[in-house]
Amino acid sequence: MNPIARLLLVVVYSVLGLASAGRATVQIAEKFHEAPVAYTVSAVSAVLYIVIAFALWRRWEKVALAGSAFELAGVLIVGTLGYVNSELWPDETVWTGYGSATAGCRWCCPSPPCSSW
Amino acid sequence: MTFYTSFVYPAVLVACAMLVIVGTLVVITARIHRVLQWVVSGTYVIAALQGIMVIVGLVTSQMSSLPVALGYLIATLALLPLLGIARLGTPDAAAASGDPNHPVLAPDQIARVDGGAAIIVGIAMAVASWRITELIVVAS
Repeated sequence: MNPIARLLLVVVYSVLGLASAGRATVQIAEKFHEAPVAYTVSAVSAVLYIVIAFALWRRWEKVALAGSAFELAGVLIVGTLGYVNSELWPDETVWTGYGSATAGCRWCCPSPPCSSW
Repeated sequence: MTFYTSFVYPAVLVACAMLVIVGTLVVITARIHRVLQWVVSGTYVIAALQGIMVIVGLVTSQMSSLPVALGYLIATLALLPLLGIARLGTPDAAAASGDPNHPVLAPDQIARVDGGAAIIVGIAMAVASWRITELIVVAS
């Protein structure tokens, strides 16, 4: 793998892992009972991003590839289920809407301008 | 908090914009890597100022969303080390690590990795700072 791409992917997945870990931590700490499956998925995605970043850094190509495949499957499955049967998910996960979920806005910022993004 | 919203927050956004702009230029032409290093140094100073201001603001106010704001602040600060990730790919760092899979970068590759990382971190830091500011504005 191109070393520039490899290190930039490490940066990308580190940022994704940081964001997902923060989101999952707050969700689980504050209201895990409301949507345990959704918040567990968020936590799993956070761990997955961190594992992929570490695997890319250590050049564990099979681990990185398997992790990316798992991520793709998660985005497609959770994203599709969110549209097909939204009742399964009382709240949004990192992968809801194929990764475009904005639920974080609702639990951290009650102001009206925030609800529009 | 007026000082934060009228000076520190705009300064953070300017720093983020500079990271993205200069980072893009460094990816295109690695010769201006030194300029990016100046921008990174300035970003560290502004991020430290932001951290101090936010902590002071959080301590002096009764924010119900204190943990979330602190989380965003920690995330902002945690992004900073990624700005210099290319230093881990220098030949000296590779030799010191003893890891055969350690990436070894040429000088122009080091510059381009730093440029790409600056773009990513600039965007992420701007978003996190924006969320911190929204929380502070709502609380005040």
